[in-house]
Amino acid sequence: MIYLDSVITQEFTAAELPAAVRAALGKPLRRAATLTQLAVVGALACLPAERRTLPTALLWQTRSGPRAETLNLLEEVCNGGAEPMPYDFLATQPAIAAAQLKPFLPGLHSATCLPLADESTANWSLLLSLADHWLQTGRYAQVLCAQLDHAGDQAGGQWLALSAAPLENSLASLHLPEVTPVEALADDKDFPARLDHWLAAGSIGHLYLQSAAGRKLAVEFARI
Amino acid sequence: MSRPVFIAGRALLCAAGNSPPAVASTLWAGECAPGRRRLGEREFPYFALNLPESAWQARAERSVRALAEQLGPLDEKTPLFIASSSFQMGQFEAAGSPFELPPACAAFSRQLADWLGLNGPGYSFSTACTSGFSALDAARSLIAAGLIDDAVVLGVELANNSTLAGFAAMELLSRSTARPFDVRRDGLALGEAVAAVRLSAQPATWRIAGLRTGLDAYSTTGPDPDGGPIAALTVDCLQEAKMPAGDIELVKLQAAGSPGTDLAEANALRRVFRERMPPLLSLKPYLGHTLGASGIAELVALLACLDAEQIPATAGFAESDPEIALKPTVVRSNTYIERALLQLIGFGGSLASLIVERRQ
Repeated sequence: MIYLDSVITQEFTAAELPAAVRAALGKPLRRAATLTQLAVVGALACLPAERRTLPTALLWQTRSGPRAETLNLLEEVCNGGAEPMPYDFLATQPAIAAAQLKPFLPGLHSATCLPLADESTANWSLLLSLADHWLQTGRYAQVLCAQLDHAGDQAGGQWLALSAAPLENSLASLHLPEVTPVEALADDKDFPARLDHWLAAGSIGHLYLQSAAGRKLAVEFARI
Repeated sequence: MSRPVFIAGRALLCAAGNSPPAVASTLWAGECAPGRRRLGEREFPYFALNLPESAWQARAERSVRALAEQLGPLDEKTPLFIASSSFQMGQFEAAGSPFELPPACAAFSRQLADWLGLNGPGYSFSTACTSGFSALDAARSLIAAGLIDDAVVLGVELANNSTLAGFAAMELLSRSTARPFDVRRDGLALGEAVAAVRLSAQPATWRIAGLRTGLDAYSTTGPDPDGGPIAALTVDCLQEAKMPAGDIELVKLQAAGSPGTDLAEANALRRVFRERMPPLLSLKPYLGHTLGASGIAELVALLACLDAEQIPATAGFAESDPEIALKPTVVRSNTYIERALLQLIGFGGSLASLIVERRQ
């Protein structure tokens, strides 16, 4: 059994995001792509200062990926007269986000980006299943699962923070059910909002998430 | 629950050959002759796949369908874990502007699954040069947890100018060839590869004994020269494998010929192995640095060599760098290897260590 400690949804306009980063860090984060800025403000919102040194893994999925940066790079490479600006190339690499996050989250041991292959589904059940295995086997003390996207003027992040041991304010316990649940939420972009709604409603004791990708990739949430 | 996870099937196409045995044979023969790829006024060494097609999409399809043939019959519902750092960038370049990116950035993964004949769960991973081991880690974690029984892990990196231009703009590419750990090393030589492993809970010759992914935030373009984060991750991996460092009989290096990263890797190895350094082998002078595919491609190439009991010499190395003070293997060997460590050090700070063990 593992524990859900926070569920956070963040939405920013392009103008708001740098200000949110500055508010979180107390200083601007220079040369950071949009996804990196989302990772920083989300991770720090999930974890109080005293938990930022604990062994932590970050699993984040993205539908948009570094879309604007990729278009910039393609424009420079295919239509430009010279080689691309190094920063534009760096900004297309999701791995960079973790390197820029780590100074503010010293316990960050590992970060994995999972780009999504279609518009309708998400990989929350995979992320939570990996978190369950890694926390149960003692690999990390906490795992952050996120979805980060930006399109046009809008950028947003959805976050679940999970830990191996219950905290005073843990929201729910999680385990992987051995029997496929009859009624379960679909694994899509709306899942964090529905989870949040279930936590706020307080009436039903259990909630299930079922991946369309695999019968065994189901997760059960139970109130503590 | 934590079950052992085995490598039950392997497939590979790279510049050194179009099957694992062919690649092992090329490496044993010491053959490495990169082609050239032009970028504006400049030319760089490049390890391209040997395919008859020239169109990007046709090459992608041909190479992935060839992998499917090498893997043999698969249950179409087998979960697929895809690793790449550039996905279909070459296709976007070929189509030209206005560039039409799909709404989901890994939409190409659907096409890859189709070419492999798979329609089950599919997941994509992008952690730069460590993407292959990130995907491997996720797949083996689900198998170890009993959530799936088999998985295909696919590494794909196909030619595109965006990646080449990006590395060129950062002055990280060699103009001649990859020279791992050599005093004259001057950068990477990039390449293409498609590679796959089938993982299974069913026993097979090679077992994943340890696998850890990590992070070195010293800089977004290079690791801590001291090697501390790389060494710490390697020690974690050894601990998972319940092996002392002395049990490792061969290290497949990251060593791509990069001045800074090679030094960091050497310093890390000294911290881990001290005076009992195992033989060190770099495959990049034969395959090129195949980025997001490199983890799976080099794993398959190495296992093919170990199965044949033909460990190649490291090409491209001639003279030791006094600062590195480590020498990769320069003589071929028929040593029977039971445990090998594979290191990846990724652009952007990602790290990965894998230990494979031969089943007794």
